[in-house]
Amino acid sequence: MISVEHISKYFNRETILHDISFSLEKGEILGLLGPNGAGKTTLMRIINQIISADKGYVSYGGNLIKEKHLLNIGYLPEERGLYQSMSVEKQILFLGKLRGLSKTEAKNQMEYWLKRFGIQAWRKKRIEELSKGMAQKVQFICTVLHEPDVLILDEPFSGFDPINIELIRKELLNFKKKGKSIIISTHNMNNVEEICDRAILINEGEMILEGTVPELRQQFKEGLYKISFTGNMISFANSLWAGYEIVDKEVHSEETFTVYLKMRQGNKINDLLNAVIDQVSITGIEEVLPSMENVFVKSINAQNEILSE
Amino acid sequence: MFFGPLAVLGLIYLFLSTTTSTNKDWKILMMDKKEVFDGKLASDPSANLKFDFINAFVDYEDFAYNEKFQDYDISVWINEKIVSNKKVIISYREQPPENIQRKIIYLVERRMEEIMVDQFTDLSVSKFREIKQSLNFSFKDVYDPKNEKSTSASWVGFSFGTLIIIFVFMFGMTILRSVSREKSNRIIEVLLSSVNARQLLTGKVLGVGFSALVQFAAWVIIIGTGLYLFRLTLFPDMFSAGFVADEVAKTDFSYELANQSPFVELIYNQIQYMNMLIFFALFFIGGYLFYGSFFAMIGASMGSESDGQQFIIPLTLLLFSAILSGYYVVYYPSTTLSTWLGFIPFTSPMVMMVDLSNGFADGSAWKLILSIIILFASAFLMMIIAGRIYKNGILRFNHRLKLRMLIKWTKK
Repeated sequence: MISVEHISKYFNRETILHDISFSLEKGEILGLLGPNGAGKTTLMRIINQIISADKGYVSYGGNLIKEKHLLNIGYLPEERGLYQSMSVEKQILFLGKLRGLSKTEAKNQMEYWLKRFGIQAWRKKRIEELSKGMAQKVQFICTVLHEPDVLILDEPFSGFDPINIELIRKELLNFKKKGKSIIISTHNMNNVEEICDRAILINEGEMILEGTVPELRQQFKEGLYKISFTGNMISFANSLWAGYEIVDKEVHSEETFTVYLKMRQGNKINDLLNAVIDQVSITGIEEVLPSMENVFVKSINAQNEILSE
Repeated sequence: MFFGPLAVLGLIYLFLSTTTSTNKDWKILMMDKKEVFDGKLASDPSANLKFDFINAFVDYEDFAYNEKFQDYDISVWINEKIVSNKKVIISYREQPPENIQRKIIYLVERRMEEIMVDQFTDLSVSKFREIKQSLNFSFKDVYDPKNEKSTSASWVGFSFGTLIIIFVFMFGMTILRSVSREKSNRIIEVLLSSVNARQLLTGKVLGVGFSALVQFAAWVIIIGTGLYLFRLTLFPDMFSAGFVADEVAKTDFSYELANQSPFVELIYNQIQYMNMLIFFALFFIGGYLFYGSFFAMIGASMGSESDGQQFIIPLTLLLFSAILSGYYVVYYPSTTLSTWLGFIPFTSPMVMMVDLSNGFADGSAWKLILSIIILFASAFLMMIIAGRIYKNGILRFNHRLKLRMLIKWTKK
């Protein structure tokens, strides 16, 4: 759908982005991750043609991106902004028409979304009368009103309470089902794990990771396993000899435990099971993959160490 | 949009009501004990002044309280030795307005003049007045003697030019406020994801211009219709040449001069309003587009409110210098500097309005055409430069705005 090829951006001799390349497929949700100041917003602005890249290009549907393609893109900037003294209704209609909708189309879409979010009562209110969360709902509606094929959302969950986060999350999954492509930039790693198909990680203008969420988690796994059992903790520990390292444990009751351990000396799950099966009654066993938050922190720290050397 | 012009119409109505109330009838008692004036005045007084002569003196108390004199508003005492002491005392119940005072003074002086001429000279009154009349000077350009220029006409052009500068400033500030508001409430990023910066800037300038023109047209139509209806119904003499002449007589002009009324002649007969209005519109549009780009640039580049103030001041000074240029051209219309000021886009809207009111000599109308072309070409160029600065500055916040930053942004 969208392809970013070797994008670089410099400002006052500083490198904001360096040689970023990735693609966004149809019906895919791509997480754009990175610490503050990494260049995520700059990249999103380049894709939206708000600013131009110093090197590289963006293509849409196999062609160099042009102004006409912007009508198929819905952009939600990180810095939310609406005309404060305009009413909700006028705001939505104005931005809908700006995106190429006729007055009737914009009105129909507005009715649909106001009903969907349960905010019909606000239509005559001015934006300045709304709370931050309410205004962000309105801005989200303005972003999706024209049914774009691509959504580029910078921190879409920011400023929302958990109920509204869930509401937005469901809408994004709905869009995905309809074949829309979405790029979201977020610091909320739970959301990345829950909804993103792929993620790319940018730090200091460089792309340091790219892959599906399971791939990235696999890439950073530490061989940690979780085993739950009922029985005697001491017997369990004694049955493990040098081939295992207990990292942590959780005590659920006198005889119910969950233990986190790492394999050593090339031992596998079967070896672990064989070692403990006669001592305790096992209720569950699984490999513990790092969370996306762990992946994020580890990658950034690793790169920062390299840069500081 | 409607409240403003209706409020102004209301004020005009109040003003005219109070003005026309001064056209009440005044009865004046002329106390001429020695019959110096012989019971008559030099010329027929206005219809609202009625003079009655008596050959007696009536003191203040008598005039104030005696029933016989209650019908009179004013008494004028022509003392026996008026020829030598030149003293006239006028008493009133209610202070008459300035124009009534001047009329009484004029009529009494004219009669006194007749008496003095008759008493001390052998001349007829008309001969005396002919001799007394001041010389009539006129300045003519030796290369174009038929084209007699008058600073009065130039001031009309100056007024039109000043209107252009005032409107440019007002609408320019509207552009600046609108751009900086869109920047500060961050909606600009949403807008830029749909239209490019140059389109946004052009749309902003044209949109503010059109809305201002619509407001201006609404004011002109509502006030014009209101004044026309006033003239038809409530104040039929309003704005006739005679009315204007009469009102002019209320100023420092002498009553006689007001009768000749060069000002009225200028306003009603000399100024070619159709020409002036057409070129007023052209120079206003060109000047607005030219200066509007500057205002948009500053609005887009401001890092903070106070930051922008430092750049608004030089822009305001430029507009003020345009007004000063107009003032210069009124008095020195034919200098080389005046010619150049007519082509420089910063000053041409003002200077050309002054030149238009003076009229162009045969074969020199090309200056007007060239000035318009330069103005619109400059406006177009400024919109391009402003577009670049707008694009580079609109998404930058909390920076210290410096001139070299602006120059750098024009190059990108």
